Amino acid sequence: MLSRVASSLYWLSRYVERSDGILRMLKINYASSQDTIQEFTWDPVIRISSGGDAESIAEIKNDSRKVVEYLLFNRDNPNSVINMVTLARENARSVQEHIAKDLWQCLNEYYHTVKDPKLLWYVQKDDPITALDILSKQVMLYYGTAESTMERGESRSFMSIGKYLERSIQSIDILDIKFSSVSDNPDLLLDTSYWKHLLLSLGGYELYLKSYREGFTAENILELVMLNKDFPRSAIYAVDNIQRYFGRLKSDQNMEHYNSLSFIIGRLSSNITYSSVYSMKSEGLHNYLVKVRSELYGIGNLMDEYYFANS
Amino acid sequence: MSRINLNSYQNVPNTWDEMYISEQNLRGQYHRILNYLQKESASDLNKKEELAKRLFMSQGITFTVYDSGEGIEKIFPFDIIPRVITASEWAFIEKGIKQRLKALNLFLKDVYSNQFIIKDKVIPAALIYSCPHFLREMYQLNVPHDIYIHIAGIDLIRDYDGTFYVLEDNLRTPSGVSYMLENREITKRLFPDLIPQCGVRSVTEYPAILYKNLVALSPRAVANPTIVLLSPGMYNSAYYEHTTLARLMGVELVEGRDLVVRDQKVFMKTTTGLQQVDVIYRRVDDEFIDPLVFNPNSVLGVAGLMSAYRKGNVAIINAIGNGVADDKAVYSYVPDMIRYYLNEEPLLKNVPTYSLSDPEQQEYVFQNMHKMVIKKTNESGGYGMLMGHAATELEMQLYKQEILKDPRNFIAQPTISLSTAPCYMDGLLTPRRVDLRPYALCGPDGISIVPGGLTRVALKEGSLVVNSSQGGGSKDTWVLSA
Repeated sequence: MLSRVASSLYWLSRYVERSDGILRMLKINYASSQDTIQEFTWDPVIRISSGGDAESIAEIKNDSRKVVEYLLFNRDNPNSVINMVTLARENARSVQEHIAKDLWQCLNEYYHTVKDPKLLWYVQKDDPITALDILSKQVMLYYGTAESTMERGESRSFMSIGKYLERSIQSIDILDIKFSSVSDNPDLLLDTSYWKHLLLSLGGYELYLKSYREGFTAENILELVMLNKDFPRSAIYAVDNIQRYFGRLKSDQNMEHYNSLSFIIGRLSSNITYSSVYSMKSEGLHNYLVKVRSELYGIGNLMDEYYFANS
Repeated sequence: MSRINLNSYQNVPNTWDEMYISEQNLRGQYHRILNYLQKESASDLNKKEELAKRLFMSQGITFTVYDSGEGIEKIFPFDIIPRVITASEWAFIEKGIKQRLKALNLFLKDVYSNQFIIKDKVIPAALIYSCPHFLREMYQLNVPHDIYIHIAGIDLIRDYDGTFYVLEDNLRTPSGVSYMLENREITKRLFPDLIPQCGVRSVTEYPAILYKNLVALSPRAVANPTIVLLSPGMYNSAYYEHTTLARLMGVELVEGRDLVVRDQKVFMKTTTGLQQVDVIYRRVDDEFIDPLVFNPNSVLGVAGLMSAYRKGNVAIINAIGNGVADDKAVYSYVPDMIRYYLNEEPLLKNVPTYSLSDPEQQEYVFQNMHKMVIKKTNESGGYGMLMGHAATELEMQLYKQEILKDPRNFIAQPTISLSTAPCYMDGLLTPRRVDLRPYALCGPDGISIVPGGLTRVALKEGSLVVNSSQGGGSKDTWVLSA
């Protein structure tokens, strides 16, 4: 497969996954902003999911509609959903013959949906959740279509690696920001709705209730999001999938690169698997998360160097 | 529910209409369509028009217009009423195109090797050597199977009496075939059951035939040669077509930066290293294809490609240098080429063409400018034309000065009125001018033409220019089986 094509598939998949993460987080946080008597702070959400400048963020951070609009539609915010979808679509456009026509149409419609003025109207004047739901449905359509149409070969492996790399970075970011807010403000430790929203924004609320009977505790949440192999947004689930799809790229022509990256992915997977909540806390949670994140970034960089560099 | 009014159709005087012989007197090939339309109301047809737009949009069959920073996506206008060609009309067109391409291909072989046609004084040497698309780099270069023209999109028009004329041969990188394929897909959705009822021949074979030809041209005798489609990239207006063709044939779509030449062989850069390329279906113009030989600033091409081509290590489709046969001044000699190489009379007529470098012809053209269409010999897409019947006195004077600077670059043709076909506009059927571009594929097994083509239509009332850059649209084109 062409290096350029591999790179486009990988990035298109990362961008869609990132837009998905932003949409989930917005939905839950918007709902919780409507359910609080204190002033709701959008600060952590904006920090996790935007790349915008501090000034424009300070202006809007106490206005829920404006935040949603900023994270969805602002062209100057490099991580806005509209920018993610545009990039995903541009990448898809350049590899149309490697993805099924249905999948291209899916991304194309996702793009036209984000650009639909009706959506902006929902956010500004009507019910913003309607807009978020419409967009989330587009992402689900994308995942369903990708699952049922993509050939099980190299192209899907690159897309899956991109998807799980993006997902693991997102989960780590959310944990890091949410837990660092707790160390600033220990009252949050006992705030049920704080943890509930974290779980909801990762889609892990139901699984948590089934797994733990003693209510919301920071330790259990950490365990679920880092170590639970059945939770599709946990760090270990994502890293194991990176390992799995990377394994399929093994080829005689590229053994040296394959072995060296395979080693790094394997090491990360073992590192997480043989961690416990206790060991993470004794190392310092923030330090631990930073270390995992930089390993993930390292994997991304090596993918670029070994597989996409020819492009 | 109001039925659509079919009686308001007004034939344009002195013009061949594809549907009506005269008012109320319908051509047989349109009976079934008209019966179908009579059962529909204007609102039904409006809905079909909407559906067509939506299908084009959701499939991303769009081009982007950059306006104030933000790109606006537009679709090429599509008229929902198909254009119908009878079996006997098609048989004639097919025969005529095959004859023409055979001669043109022999001409290219000759002009890049022995040049008998120049030595025998059939075509003046000055004409050939003054053509900017005559490339010395191609001289004595052996192309596989002596085929230069693998894909041609010949533009046909019809005069007031229905006679077909060839307007242009398009032997370089003709585009639009994806619209032939997509328009048919859309029509299937718009008019369920109508296509089989009318006995319309299928166009779906096109990618399979092209693929078979590409495989046959591989210089390496391997079971699965590597075939690529070389595109200038996603900002090219025909990018949609490039991806469609690559997908339909299952070949790799590459850009110049994906390819590299080593030891006079072409390779593509893959995730597992370099892979040798055997056949390149290129949609990049000659000028940009190899910065070492042609335009040195080109980033669309591949450095060293010509050396690999010359060495016979890669096949390039269409051959480089075909522009010399596409030159509008050389065009006027095509009937002579047919007589010279094939010893046959041309079946398809040429539009009479006046050369402006000939003093007598120039004088005649200048006296009759309002009856002429004047074109630059090496432009396409409807750019740089003067339509005499619509031009002002001042425009004509300015154009005249332009011509006198370099008469070799211009030709003139009498204004041909172009046939009309019914279009659905604002609830009514209205005649609009059309042309026809069938796509011919030449391989080692001969020439095949899928029964169909692209009908382009001038959507503006009274306009004779069908180019999409000048407000033209397209129609599905039906060739009937009997």
